[in-house]
Amino acid sequence: MASVTADSPVKPGAFWGTRLLSIVLALAFCFGIGAMEGSIPPFAFRILVLAGLYVTLSVSLNLINGITGQFSIGHAAFYQVGAYVTGFLTINYFDGQPLTAIPWLVIMMIAGAAGAGIVGLMVGLPSLRLRGDYLAIVTLGFGEIISIVTRNQKALGGSYGMQIEPKIQAPWLVWLLAIICIAVCRNLIKTAHGLPFLAVREDEVASSAMGVNTTKTKVTAFVIGSAFAGAAGALYGHFESFITPDMFKMEVSFIILTMVVIGGTGSITGSTLAALFLFGLPEWLRTLKGADGNALQIPAPQVIAALFGVVVFVACARWVRDRYHEKGMKLAGAYGSAVGIAVVASLLFRPLAALIPSMAETSWEINSLRMVIFAVTLVVVMLLRPEGVLGHHEFSWAWLRSLFNKKNKEVQA
Amino acid sequence: MDLFSPHLLAESGINFSTLPSQLVNGLLLGSIYALIALGYTMVYGVLRLINFAHGEVFMLGAYTSLFVAWKQGFGQGVSPDQMPQGSWGLLIGMMIISMLVCAIIGVIIEFVAYRPMRNQSRIAALITAIGISLLLQYGGQLFLPAEPPPSISEKVLPDSIQGSYTMNLKKAPPQLVADLDAAKTKLQEIKDRLVERTTAMGISEFGLPDDDPDRVAKLETQDLVNRLNPQVEEQSIAIIVPKGQLVMFGTVVMLMGILWWLVMFTKTGRAMRAAAHDFESASLMGINVNRVVVITFIIGSALAGAGAMMNAVFIRTPLTPFYGFMPGVKAFVAAVLGGIGNIPGAVLGGLVMGIAESLIVWVGYSEYKDAIAFVILIVVLMFRPGGLLGSSKVEKV
Amino acid sequence: MSEDGMTDLQEEELDRADLIHSEGGHVLSLMDATIKFGGLTAVNKVSFDLSRGDLFGLIGPNGAGKTTCFNLITGVYKPTSGEILFHGKSVAGMKPNQIAHLGICRTFQNIRLFGALSSLENVVVGGFLRHKTPLLSSLLLMPSAVTETAELREKAMHLLEVMNLADDAHTRSRDLPYGKQRRLEIARAMATDPSLILLDEPAAGMNPQEKEELSTTVRRIRDEFNKTVLLIEHDMRFVMGLCEKIVVLDHGEEIAAGGPDEVRNDPKVIEAYLGEAV
Repeated sequence: MASVTADSPVKPGAFWGTRLLSIVLALAFCFGIGAMEGSIPPFAFRILVLAGLYVTLSVSLNLINGITGQFSIGHAAFYQVGAYVTGFLTINYFDGQPLTAIPWLVIMMIAGAAGAGIVGLMVGLPSLRLRGDYLAIVTLGFGEIISIVTRNQKALGGSYGMQIEPKIQAPWLVWLLAIICIAVCRNLIKTAHGLPFLAVREDEVASSAMGVNTTKTKVTAFVIGSAFAGAAGALYGHFESFITPDMFKMEVSFIILTMVVIGGTGSITGSTLAALFLFGLPEWLRTLKGADGNALQIPAPQVIAALFGVVVFVACARWVRDRYHEKGMKLAGAYGSAVGIAVVASLLFRPLAALIPSMAETSWEINSLRMVIFAVTLVVVMLLRPEGVLGHHEFSWAWLRSLFNKKNKEVQA
Repeated sequence: MDLFSPHLLAESGINFSTLPSQLVNGLLLGSIYALIALGYTMVYGVLRLINFAHGEVFMLGAYTSLFVAWKQGFGQGVSPDQMPQGSWGLLIGMMIISMLVCAIIGVIIEFVAYRPMRNQSRIAALITAIGISLLLQYGGQLFLPAEPPPSISEKVLPDSIQGSYTMNLKKAPPQLVADLDAAKTKLQEIKDRLVERTTAMGISEFGLPDDDPDRVAKLETQDLVNRLNPQVEEQSIAIIVPKGQLVMFGTVVMLMGILWWLVMFTKTGRAMRAAAHDFESASLMGINVNRVVVITFIIGSALAGAGAMMNAVFIRTPLTPFYGFMPGVKAFVAAVLGGIGNIPGAVLGGLVMGIAESLIVWVGYSEYKDAIAFVILIVVLMFRPGGLLGSSKVEKV
Repeated sequence: MSEDGMTDLQEEELDRADLIHSEGGHVLSLMDATIKFGGLTAVNKVSFDLSRGDLFGLIGPNGAGKTTCFNLITGVYKPTSGEILFHGKSVAGMKPNQIAHLGICRTFQNIRLFGALSSLENVVVGGFLRHKTPLLSSLLLMPSAVTETAELREKAMHLLEVMNLADDAHTRSRDLPYGKQRRLEIARAMATDPSLILLDEPAAGMNPQEKEELSTTVRRIRDEFNKTVLLIEHDMRFVMGLCEKIVVLDHGEEIAAGGPDEVRNDPKVIEAYLGEAV
């Protein structure tokens, strides 16, 4: 939970020392990633960079959705605004100004953040009057409006897209942005300033009675969240150097939303890990090759059987969650058996699935299953653990220490 | 008034002579939105849940109709000449099967995904709904034919409702019409003569010299026709509606009437209204709320199925697994516009949405057709959050 | 937000100081406060004054308009007519958070804690409105933000001790037992450092012993922390034993006012509470 309660007294003397150390470490990490270019396969490097963007997107949406509780499902729109605004600026103003590529990209990042922040302000304003599902549908609508308008603007390349010249790639900057985004959100909930945000999520009426300016809080969350998405968009546009409206479809919003929800609404750690995992997994699957050297084909009966297995697992796991009142190893055993039953059921179901007409010969490329995997994961997590995998928990060194101490104690006993 | 001269208006893409036709089109389209909106509004009324997957139920209903049509010999590979005669029986069969399939799918979704979420937060339920919607879209992409997007052959319509019905509201001045007809006849005559001459000479029309009197006359008459045609069009006002769409409208009205009777005058309807008013109290008063929820899903999904069948048969938008998304969102907007949870509101909202959309097309911004739904939504929610017929509830402190 | 927030806060601080040091006047005055919802007049021309250090009770049968009165005072509703003065300044039509800044804070009849937050965090939210570090410093985790957070935490911890909740500081407020949740609400309201504190049925659902303790706590709030207290309560014994002045509402109208004994013997009050032992 928010770490105001965590016992982490900061000693003013040590403050700048640790601060400096963490900044140096963060920079070293970013440059380390930058230095990996060339030493790992290009596609792997590309995934690494894009994963950084998704971390930013997911953590920034988490600020709006998870921490402030304003259910926004149009995050890709801010990403798009960042990419298009800066793409437009670079095409028209890069030549003939004195800056070199990287400083220009940094400025573009700020410009993208500003552009998306302004749009975020506009989207945040309805949130003053709307709650929950209504806000969700309005943010979705804003996203669609932005998408439709872009598609019909000749200056922005219409639905064909926009070629950003010059292409500026700075993988280290992508990760630096991700780290800054994580740090800002973490700092927010580490200090008292984060509490009004959490309070608004929990109960608007009560927080307003406690003196929290709910309007300001909600709009601030929207502006900060969308600004980070805009900055990510700027980097994305310059990294790919060709942007089309299709790259920011509603699908992207849903992917980001899935990351936040699965990671645990409100948990920065959860959003980060979910972004890495959910972005990495399909990309990794995509690289798998079949025996013939082409993209791996999955036979349809296998997919159907796997879906059946998932259904069985969910049913068993829900039973265990609600009816089986044991703890520790016994509980783990019960969940283990749920997995076992599901696997067996799936294996038994497979020949049945092959009986469905025309399914026996059909097979699908792994890539076309990507969104199905997302959707299934989303529903399964909701059914089994609506608060997300990590719930409200955050990673902390104290937690890690306590884990080790517990282990030590167990060993001694 | 120079500002409103027909010439200027025509340039801006506005042509008043097509307005009545567009309004009728909007009304017909709106009736389909209204039908889908009813499903949203009923489920929201009872469960306070935006059933995001409702649009996908609609999509599956359309595919069901498609498969029924294929099974009956209207398949994609079949040439139109070899297709059997369309009949009322086939249409009714398609609609009933589509409604049944949708009802079953709706109940399965409720049972598998929404019921387990009933005690969770509304947002968690909404996320589940989004998940189901995505699953059906992308899962559908695997299983359903979409390349090229299929559509149901017009041949399924019985002869009596093929073609369209024209209603002349205002005729162009007879003189003008006569002129146009004369010009058209003359043009045809010249064309025939040209063909005759060129075939006799064994050359094409362009083999003749440019100043050949027939060629010059042809160009001149063509010009005249081109000039007169828009004039006649502008000065005559006619509503042209495909006959099938009139049948569609009648069916929608009938279905709504049945729904009204069901909700207002039956015991089940009373239970539904009670559950919509206060879910908890209704269950305490001995109403089997689970049964009410299932019935709500059955009715809502069946209406979507009927709408899907009619949309696929009479409006004939090509089908894709994402086919339900936009109509779904628009219908949801319609439900919100009318006041969500309010049944007459959903109908009103649907009609307003349909008309707004056709007006946008009419003024020449058809590319923004899908955006208008959201603009309406945002404006309504900003200024009248309870919708047109609804009342916004103030949270009790 | 940051720059503006700072000056806003400072101005408010000055306003508040002005208000509170305007000795002599009433802390709170309702003058013919009225609110109508459609055709229903929920509160009709209610007037009463609270002086500094009052322990004031607002009673009346169900639906008398007591909580609506609270909602008027704290800015949840805007009065249809009439005036509400806090230290002589009109607060009618101000937003709840502005009113909280001026120094009125409340608890809720149906407990409204921030369920997922710990007790301590709930109280820190209350204390946050006197927070001065700008947002940017917090986002950059500047030493000033860290220090101020620690200060707020300490103050909150102290309040938890006062309300006898120190052991539950790190428990999620949702998981606390009912009585503790009520006390936590009072602690949270106290954290905003109000000069006037409104308690909406603080003793609801408590057993006699808990009620006894609550009486002591409320008196302590008044005597040790120099707060003025206005409370709504159904339990007559509790109100009569605790409050020095009482206003009785029925159907949105004020039917009696005065000390406990006066009110107890008022025929109108007896009529309103017919059948209940007054």
